Amino acid sequence: MADNQQVVFENVSKFYGDVLGVNRVTLSIPPGITSLVGPNGSGKTTLMNLMTGLLQPTRGRISVLGVSPNQPEQLFRQLGYCTQFDSFPRGFTGYQFVYSFLRIYGCTHSEAESFAWRAIDRVNMREAAHRKIAAYSKGMRQRIKLAQSTCHGPAVLVLDEPLNGLDPLVRAEVIAMLRSLAEEGMHIIISSHVLHEVDMISDQVVLLSNGYVVAEGKIRGVRNELDERPMQVLIRCNAPSLLAAKVFEQSSVVEARMHADGKGLLVKTKDPDKFYLQLNKIAMNGIGIESVTPADDDVNSLYEYLIGSEEPSK
Amino acid sequence: MAVYKRSYSGYTGKITPRRSRFLILTRYSARGLFSSRIMTGLFILSLIFPILVIAGLYLNHNTQLMSLLKFHGDSFLEVKGTLFMFVMSFQGSFAFLITAFIGPGLIAPDLTNNALPLYFCRPISRTEYVLGRACVLLFLLSLVTWIPGLLIFGIQGTLSSGWAIEHLRIAEGILVGSLLWISILTLLALALSAWVRWKLVAGGLLLGVMFATTGFAGAIGAVMQTAKGLYLDPAAMVAIIYCNFFDIDNKSGIGTPGACLSLITMGAFCIWLLSKKIRAFQVVR
Amino acid sequence: MKTLWLTQIAAVLRVELGKTFFSRRGLWVYLLALAPLLIFGGHSMIMLVRAHVPCDFGNDTNVFAGIFQTLDLRVVIFFGCLGIFMNLFRGEVLDRSLHFYFLAPIRREVLVVGKYLAGIIAALVIFTTSTILQWIAMYAHFSSTIVLSYLRDGNGWSHLAAYAGTTALGCVGYGSVFLLMGALFRNPIFPAAGILIWESVNAFVPPLLQKFSVIYYLKSLCPIEAPPNVGPPFSLLIVNADPIAPAIAVSGILIFTLLVVVIATLQVRRMEINYSTD
Repeated sequence: MADNQQVVFENVSKFYGDVLGVNRVTLSIPPGITSLVGPNGSGKTTLMNLMTGLLQPTRGRISVLGVSPNQPEQLFRQLGYCTQFDSFPRGFTGYQFVYSFLRIYGCTHSEAESFAWRAIDRVNMREAAHRKIAAYSKGMRQRIKLAQSTCHGPAVLVLDEPLNGLDPLVRAEVIAMLRSLAEEGMHIIISSHVLHEVDMISDQVVLLSNGYVVAEGKIRGVRNELDERPMQVLIRCNAPSLLAAKVFEQSSVVEARMHADGKGLLVKTKDPDKFYLQLNKIAMNGIGIESVTPADDDVNSLYEYLIGSEEPSK
Repeated sequence: MAVYKRSYSGYTGKITPRRSRFLILTRYSARGLFSSRIMTGLFILSLIFPILVIAGLYLNHNTQLMSLLKFHGDSFLEVKGTLFMFVMSFQGSFAFLITAFIGPGLIAPDLTNNALPLYFCRPISRTEYVLGRACVLLFLLSLVTWIPGLLIFGIQGTLSSGWAIEHLRIAEGILVGSLLWISILTLLALALSAWVRWKLVAGGLLLGVMFATTGFAGAIGAVMQTAKGLYLDPAAMVAIIYCNFFDIDNKSGIGTPGACLSLITMGAFCIWLLSKKIRAFQVVR
Repeated sequence: MKTLWLTQIAAVLRVELGKTFFSRRGLWVYLLALAPLLIFGGHSMIMLVRAHVPCDFGNDTNVFAGIFQTLDLRVVIFFGCLGIFMNLFRGEVLDRSLHFYFLAPIRREVLVVGKYLAGIIAALVIFTTSTILQWIAMYAHFSSTIVLSYLRDGNGWSHLAAYAGTTALGCVGYGSVFLLMGALFRNPIFPAAGILIWESVNAFVPPLLQKFSVIYYLKSLCPIEAPPNVGPPFSLLIVNADPIAPAIAVSGILIFTLLVVVIATLQVRRMEINYSTD
């Protein structure tokens, strides 16, 4: 894919004095939803601030759809950033906050008004729009920030922990909104600690630890590359003990143990594709298999394998 | 499901007595004070002048040393009210600089970072909170003002017998003037720190208030041909109190009660500001 | 492109003027500008009440000149501009809201110009109005005959214009300096205190160094020299041993301001958003 269709980091490093922010990061982020995952201090926010020009890289080159972050007048026409900072210009109402920055973008009054209300409606903040932001709850502040970052219809949306402080209903709405935007071809880059939601919404994931990119790509693709970690598969069936005996005969199986509820078998295999073929044959010989699901084919497991092992044990 | 296992129990050990609880805040506020080189430098500088004065007093009473230094006058330092006026004014300036450096950081960060609810959900009142913060400045500024002043007085008293009894008013003046000055500085610093919520702006405002009050006092004097403008200037009020105690003509015609009343009014205004701002909740209009 | 820049500057002006003019936080600037007015107004009221006391027009004119140079220029305008202009960038950093501007499609140079203009407009309106009202209040207790004679036949209008113009140029000059301080330093109070001292000792530094100060140019623009009966230290502040021509003073301030604003722009271009608690 050409550089002007991706967000590109080329050997980017950022040091805060002696403290490492990120080191030698090389990434190409395609359209869709990309999640930055990592523990606190791993460099997620640093990466986002670098791609939006809020920080200058110590080394390396960054381009967002072919535009350098040093060209804010071009960059921010196609990029919106919802930061983690829970602070706002003083004395603004929600509407004024969205409207004023649209005027700074260069919109006329009627354009700014129309875009502002559209963005505010999208996050269900119309009723509170004329109240001061200082009086908002945390969730409301988060929503108005989302509105402001999306009001100008950017092609790239960078969201630093966007679901923070949102109740479950609003989270679901925001996730749906992000999904629909991604389907329209937008680049959406999210950082989040809520791994099951990252799993639900992300097309690709970038795992960071201590300022380094540990892994990146589609979740399944990353998982498949972890050869040293046999794949775990959960098989629900009516005769798990019998299935276990059959499964142990297979060479690709490393471990099998009963699930805690006694109605399933957790199998570790070095070769998932071969195992699935063998499982088909086992199933045809009379054992009733209800479901077969990967048990560690998610971001949570990737996090544990790749990052959890680096962290000091408690 | 009923709770069947209780492993948690409340703390049953010794707790800080109610009356001295506010000193915990003082202890924590004072912790990082001297980690700043500027602060350490200021504090050391503030002690140099009293040491030089004490050396001068010693020289006054050591004819051998005076002749060694080829000093032929009656005395090296003329010890009277004007000397103490100069010493207390000089030390008072250092007290102001120290206040401008430390004062803004006492309350503003708590307001900026929403820490007040954390304090007030514990058994500590607003008064204790302010007192705890104020004590940092009160202790530090005492070390710079009345303590060296009384030390100089005491040393002169021991070197010259009977002098102390004759000039007891000077000691009273040192104590009263210094306590009023450090009180007004402390209250101003805390009030501005609470009002603006930004440490560095509070520092600037303290500087500005001092310069502006002096400027406006002078302007009123020049325009209206009256010394009444000095009531606006806390530094001038303290200087008048010193002058009255040290038997120096202050030329303004303002007496000690008037000066004290002016300072008390300013202090009351600062306390009012503090009472409006030091709250566990934020009102948004 | 230029239309876009003008639109963006107008938008920044709208936001900033709202924050400066109509926020409770800016109340102290109004009070600072009002205070000298209260002094002169009080004086006039007292003189009107004491009608039997003769009024000396010349003395009042000298007093106004002295107060303008010591109080207005060195305290009111200095600290007022410190508050207004330092707020523009350093205040946004403290409020953690500067990133919203940096995340807008606006050149940082345009942002600096917009914010500076907003500060200038606010400072000009507040302080120039205050100066004019102070001047009116000073002479309010004189009869209309005397005042009209001063305006028509004397230098009344030129003096008023000079005071208003000096105030305006003071706002322009100090504004640019404090804009730069706010962009350059995490804690601009110490540099501001340094500038205050520098401006105060301006009379004693070598002639070349004198040119690097706002008060050097402003003193030359004041229409009336230091009154003879003002003693030290005020006489040291307002004495002007080597006045320069008004045209040079005005162009000097404008060139100085332009240089400082350009440096501020370069600094803001390199600025990074790294809010930290202190």
